[in-house]
Amino acid sequence: MTLLEVSELKTWFETPAGTVKAVDGVSFSLAKGEIIGLVGESGSGKSITGFSILGLVDPPGKVVGGSIRFNGEDLRAASEERLRALRGDRIAMIFQDPMMTLNPVLSIGTQMVETVQAHRRMSRADARAKARDALGRVGIPRPEERLDAYPHEFSGGMRQRVAIATALLHEPDLIIADEPTTALDVTIQSQILSEVQGLAAEMGMGLIWISHDLGVVAGLADRIAVMYAGRIVEEGPRDDVLDAPRHPYTSGLVASAPIANERGKPLRQIRGSAPSALHRPEGCAFRPRCDHAGDLCLNDVPETCATPRRWRCFYPMGSS
Amino acid sequence: MTDILAAAEGVSKRFRHTPDFAERLAIRLGAAAEPATVHALDGVDLHIHRGEVVGLVGESGCGKSTLGRVIAGMLQPSEGRITRQGQDIRALRGADARKMRLATQIIFQDPMSSLNPRKRVSEIIGEAPRVHGLIPRREVRAEVGKLLATVGLDPTMADRYPHQFSGGQRQRIGIARALAVNPDFLICDESIAALDVSIQAQVINLFMDLRRQFNLTLLFISHDLSVVRHISDRVVIMYLGRVVEISPADTVFDAPRHPYTAALLEEIPRLDRRGRRFTAIKGEIPSPVNPPSGCHFHPRCPHAFDRCRLERPALKQVGAGQDVACHLNDGNGLIDTPSRQGE
Ligand SMILES: Nc1ncnc2c1ncn2[C@@H]1O[C@H](COP(=O)(O)OP(=O)(O)OP(=O)(O)O)[C@@H](O)[C@H]1O
Ligand SMILES: Nc1ncnc2c1ncn2[C@@H]1O[C@H](COP(=O)(O)OP(=O)(O)OP(=O)(O)O)[C@@H](O)[C@H]1O
Ligand code: SF4
Ligand code: SF4
Ligand SMILES: [Mg+2]
Ligand SMILES: [Mg+2]
Repeated sequence: MTLLEVSELKTWFETPAGTVKAVDGVSFSLAKGEIIGLVGESGSGKSITGFSILGLVDPPGKVVGGSIRFNGEDLRAASEERLRALRGDRIAMIFQDPMMTLNPVLSIGTQMVETVQAHRRMSRADARAKARDALGRVGIPRPEERLDAYPHEFSGGMRQRVAIATALLHEPDLIIADEPTTALDVTIQSQILSEVQGLAAEMGMGLIWISHDLGVVAGLADRIAVMYAGRIVEEGPRDDVLDAPRHPYTSGLVASAPIANERGKPLRQIRGSAPSALHRPEGCAFRPRCDHAGDLCLNDVPETCATPRRWRCFYPMGSS
Repeated sequence: MTDILAAAEGVSKRFRHTPDFAERLAIRLGAAAEPATVHALDGVDLHIHRGEVVGLVGESGCGKSTLGRVIAGMLQPSEGRITRQGQDIRALRGADARKMRLATQIIFQDPMSSLNPRKRVSEIIGEAPRVHGLIPRREVRAEVGKLLATVGLDPTMADRYPHQFSGGQRQRIGIARALAVNPDFLICDESIAALDVSIQAQVINLFMDLRRQFNLTLLFISHDLSVVRHISDRVVIMYLGRVVEISPADTVFDAPRHPYTAALLEEIPRLDRRGRRFTAIKGEIPSPVNPPSGCHFHPRCPHAFDRCRLERPALKQVGAGQDVACHLNDGNGLIDTPSRQGE
């Protein structure tokens, strides 16, 4: 069943220097219990895509086009009140910095109880019990005691777990996770991934996992969407995208991973760097860095659909 | 025996712990105690040979940057000493001390904050060689152009300011600045961590090129074991201020001796590990303010036994170029661990 359907989403920023088309025609859908990994260069529009779904884009940014359907409901038409009711209840977001969601001067328990009571009529004692269970679920030892602790008494990894526990309080249908483990160490990252993975499977949540680390996404996601310059340039089942990428950017990313190269030999690399969002090249935005470019690439690139995969490229890889 | 370019001998470094924002707030509100002492480095021995690339890995706060700074002479060790070509760097005076400082250059993680935004690239790169009289004033411009070309930037960009460059280009400017004083030893502290994946490969390739071209010795600090393995000859693994394993890079993935190294290898995200069921070694990384007794890793180690809680394991040579600090198997660490390659 389709949980989320994003179609032709456009989120632009009007700045004195010009229009920044942060998200410029992004479409994807997510089924219940499915995990999609959203990867791409810094500035490609991953976070703004997430914020747009939640209705959290601040001016001068604005969703200027497309549609967002969540459980069939049109979120672009929803009132601010309705969105607030959905956020933290049916849809939750986890950020890279857990202090975006945690208040440093309140105990963990107080914050979690407030979150519970914001969405449910429930006694303080019941809300506290719910909070305790949520902490236990993300692997925090002695959750009853830890409810009285303050954020500073937790390590970075523990704080992120508290933020995740808070996001999970109401067993949301959809979680948007924006690089929540990027700042954490590998062993701690693994612990959190294992918890999130288990919970997603258990509760049948849909999960959008934003990351610039293809390795994380390879381990976690069912499907992978690759963004470049405000667009999804390739999307499909995980193994298809990683083993036989169609877009030259995806192909370059996969080929440059150290593991895909002989030790000590130069890594295969993508030349150049991503264009500024204000000065994107005409036609395909990847053109100045692309070894496949041909005459057609000066035109706007349409999407090619070959279910279950799709890509935006005139001369895709593997079709000589 | 190749000659030793730089060495740390029994180096310890202690700091007063600096609280983070949440802690400072809590201290002010009386909800937390005043900060204590951090054991950032605890008896570290490391020899770096001329021409070698040594990778230094370990999790956040384990002391990698501190070790880099101590070796560069930017920080005084609390105990132990640093030698450069066999000489204690603290004993160097005048011209010798200056020569040593220039010969060792550090390149930091954040290319923006380490470049002065008000200076043109030509000044940023040309300043040190001019001030130290390494090249005549009239030749500075030509030299800057040459250095820019060396790091793969267009020499005509010399008059631009740092903000006019991308992250990867700024990192190259930082590298050109370091090369300008003819160092023989580069310490790269997370020099690629802030870069996009597609740019990381470019900068890694640049380091490998420069090493060959200028016969540089590199200490490459990173938390990314797969990158470190790719470019290093030897890999040094630290945990909470101590070196726990040193291993030739070509075998580090196959035969880890220290249980922590084995755990790290198990957990690194890799493109070839699909649809994993993530698991993890238990427990948090303990605080360096109050490290566990004996082997620091014992609260998280699946192999820990009584001795581990009581006694610090010494770093012991267990094979060609491989050292481990673990009580298992009489100080030999894990043996006969199956290869984890391509799991
Ligand atoms: N307030 C703003 N005003 C103008 N442009 C903005 C604003 N916020 C974001 N942008 C631009 O929108 C684009 C997309 O940003 P976004 O944060 O979604 O990137 P991202 O893919 O999440 O990158 P990263 O990997 O660095 O987090 C960028 O080019 C960014 O500069
Ligand atoms: N100037 C300082 N004052 C106080 N404590 C410090 C100082 N520098 C480092 N520390 C502490 O020493 C320990 C080691 O820090 P260091 O920066 O060397 O770690 P690291 O391995 O480089 O970590 P990261 O991967 O996060 O860069 C940490 O606990 C850190 O908080
Ligand atoms: S459309 Fe052209 S320029 Fe763009 S990725 Fe495909 S081949 Fe390269
Ligand atoms: S010394 Fe003991 S606790 Fe430490 S790594 Fe070896 S077995 Fe584990
Ligand atoms: Mg982002
Ligand atoms: Mg560091």
